[in-house]
Parts: sequence; structure tokens; C-alpha cells
Amino acid sequence: MSEIKDIAPNHLVLFGIIGGLIGIYLSPTIPVAGSLGAICAVIWGADAVRRVAKYGLGTGVPSIGQIALGMGIIAAMFGLAIMKTQPLAGPVVAVITASVIGFIIGWFAQNVIKMKIPVMIRCMTEIAAAGSIIIIGYSASVAGNYDFMNNIVPLVFDNGVILFIFWVGAVAMLHPFNACLGPDERQKRMLYLAGSTGASTMAIVGLAALMTLGASGAITMLLGIVLWLIFYKKFWDEVYNDAASVVGTGLIPKTEA
Amino acid sequence: MVLLDPTTLIDIALIGLSGALICLAVHFIPVGGAPAAMAQATGIGTGTVELAAGSGLVGLITSSYMYAYEPTATMGLVMASGALGAAVMLASTMLAGGFIYAYGVGVPFASAQVKKDPITGQRQDNYVSKGTQGQGIPTICFVSGVVGSALGGAGGGLIYYVLMQYYSPLISTSAAAVAGVFTMGVFYVNSVIPSYGVGGTIEGVHDPKFRRVVPKDVFTSIVVSMLCGIVAILIAGGMT
Repeated sequence: MSEIKDIAPNHLVLFGIIGGLIGIYLSPTIPVAGSLGAICAVIWGADAVRRVAKYGLGTGVPSIGQIALGMGIIAAMFGLAIMKTQPLAGPVVAVITASVIGFIIGWFAQNVIKMKIPVMIRCMTEIAAAGSIIIIGYSASVAGNYDFMNNIVPLVFDNGVILFIFWVGAVAMLHPFNACLGPDERQKRMLYLAGSTGASTMAIVGLAALMTLGASGAITMLLGIVLWLIFYKKFWDEVYNDAASVVGTGLIPKTEA
Repeated sequence: MVLLDPTTLIDIALIGLSGALICLAVHFIPVGGAPAAMAQATGIGTGTVELAAGSGLVGLITSSYMYAYEPTATMGLVMASGALGAAVMLASTMLAGGFIYAYGVGVPFASAQVKKDPITGQRQDNYVSKGTQGQGIPTICFVSGVVGSALGGAGGGLIYYVLMQYYSPLISTSAAAVAGVFTMGVFYVNSVIPSYGVGGTIEGVHDPKFRRVVPKDVFTSIVVSMLCGIVAILIAGGMT
């Protein structure tokens, strides 16, 4: 079998940060863009999880997805709240704060807890930044803006939608590698699954947006469902491609042999 | 600078302390991970993060309930109600898990780390099946788990209490949501860090691993939580 080249980590970093921030900055005009930006960050974050979890964390892949969103939510609240006078700088400050928190935790994991994973610091920084973009992106899609005090707190925090974004955002990021890991794992297949988990999250975020924003939430929901089906079909095709053969086993025979 | 005010410094230290409590809690809880789910290791059959966060978030709910219905409640009361909620949650999890191990899987409860249970004094090694690391949830693990989750719940309640002091004068109605979500974020960070330290499984306070990993994990958690505390107090500055 020929060796298939992976997409370089740096390209995915740029894809996640630039795509994510563009989506967030477009969200006041078109709320659906926030979710699309978050999907970019989900794909980036899933690849970062893949790189670090390949070494075997000892605690399972889910733990790293949950710490990512834990760091991300702290940084996202900080970035958006502190930049009240210059709201435009908010998301950028959030991403930088997340990177700093991620770097510190990664440094401690590497040097104090001594996990001996060479990519730990870099990947922890990346997943924290991706986590903050996921939180801000989906929240902006529900609130219609990324302004913390005027939009996000009343429309996302008060009604509890943030809990959904926290949990499902974490699952969207950790599930692709958790489901695909194994000796025959390939990046392309995993990235399509990441797209599909991100898009299915977007569909449910759209349902929440239907409640807060009204009709424009329907666009988020429908686009999310369409993207989900597209990405899932791509993932399905990749699974068929990579499998040695796909056979139907039929029903279990009635009599024992 | 608002951060150098003595009260603020004490509050940051309190958030650091609560991070240490949550981190310590994870070490007390008998986490068995996937091997325990197959009754091949002592402990509850799921991951560190799930158990610590599960019990801690129930603690957060009970402590916020106390805060909401008794606004004059002292810090001790809020922490105690958090500890109670978390301990009840984990005890019922372990009880239900114990029923399944005893009557469903059919294994005797035994710890592979100690020869005699430090509480009941019963022999353990005779009952450990060959090729396994013990099974079920013996008395010492159960007690250790209840103590641990109480610590975690108290830690969660403490962060919530400190944050509410800052947020509720600024945003009266939304303060509970913002403080609760922030506490959840700190909780997740502090339950994953020690889970990396213990490497997935730990039996509780009697495990030799406990003494080995607690100092460095608690140190990491204090530093990271104090950083989170600084961030939390700066967020209040953006609310005025």
C-alpha cells in the first residue's frame, strides 16, 4: 500500500485560526458564519488531539477534549469580557489567552507531571486555542453577535445553551480520533468525521438559534444538517475505501452449527 | 492595580486552594478505568475525569442551591453543601456499581494493592483472581471515594462562592450562570491534570501511587488554578 501524505499540522493551524476568526467576525452580519468558523476549529482541534493522543495518554482520549474546552471557556469569557471597549479585539485576545493557558498546562504536564510526550506543549496550546474558537463560534451563532455582556450573557449563558456548547463542542473535538484510533487510522478519514461531528453540533446549535434569533436560526440548522450529511457521506466513502473488503454477514442462523 | 489589593490576593489564593482540593479529590476516588469495567481492576469502571467531574458538578449544583436560597450563607455552609451533594452522588454511583459487580458480574471485592483492608482488616490477596488487579469496590476504596468526592464538592463550592462575591454586585441575574460556567471550566482543568499524573487508574488513599503523585499534581493544580483565579477577577473588570 502506498504511503499517503498527511496534511501538515501548520496548514491545519492556519485553517483553524483564520477560518475560525473570519467566521466569528462575520457572525454579527450572518450568524451562520460563527458555526462555520467553529467547524474549522473543530477540524483543527481534532487533528491536534490526534497528534497528542497517538502517544497514549493513559486516561483515554476524552480527557484531552474536556480539558481543551475547559481552558477554552475560561479564555473565551476572559477575552470577550476584558475587551469591552474594543469588541473587535475580543476573539483575538481570547485565542491568545487560551494559547497562554494551554502552554502553561502543557509545560507543567511535560516538566512537572513528566508525561514524556514530545508534542505535549505544542498540542496543548493548539487544543486550548481551538477550544476557545469553538466556544466563541457556536455562541456567536446562537447570540447573533460576539459581544459578551449584551448578547452572549443574556442569550447563551442565562438560558443554559452554553452547557450544550461546552459538552457537545468537546465531543465534536474528541470523538473523531476516539472513534478512528487504531493501527489503521488515517488522517483524511478522521478529518471527514471531524467535519461531520462539527456540522451535527451546528445543526443543534441552529435549533437553539431558532429560539433566540428566530428565522435566521433555521438557516444554521438546515445548513448544519446538509453539511453533516455531506461530511458523513465522505467519511462513509473513506471507510469503504480503506476497508479490505465490505461483506454482508446476513442474519444469525436459527440453528446452531 | 486591583490585583494587588489584599482581599483580591486572598481570593486568588482561595481559588488556588479550591483547585488543590479538586486535584486531591481525584486521587482519593477509586478510578478503575476500562479494566475495572471488565472487573479486572479495583475501582469504578470509568475514567478519572468522568467521576471527578460528575460528582463535582453535583456538588456545584447543591452549593449553588444553598447560595441561591440562603444569600447570607457563610463560605463554610456553601462548601459543606457542595461536599454533601458530591459525596451522595459518588456514594450512590459506587453502591449501584457494587451491586452490579457483586450480583451481575459475580466477583468478590478485593484490592490488589494492600494485603489487608486498612478499615475492616480482612485479607485481600486470597480473593484477587489470577491475572487481574483486584475487582469491585472494597470498603477502603468506598470510604476513600466518599472522602474524595466531598473534597471535590467543597472545592467546587469554594470557587463558586468566591466568584459570586465578585459577579453578583455587577450582573445580578446572570451572575449564577457566569460563575457556574467558569467554575465548570476550572473543574475540568483540575480534574484532567491529576488524571495525567495518576496515569488513568488509582485505587484510593491506600494505593502506593497516591503518595508518589500527589505533591506534583497538587502543585500544578495550585499554579494553574491561581492563574484561572486572576483571569476570573479580571473578567469582573469587564462587567462594569
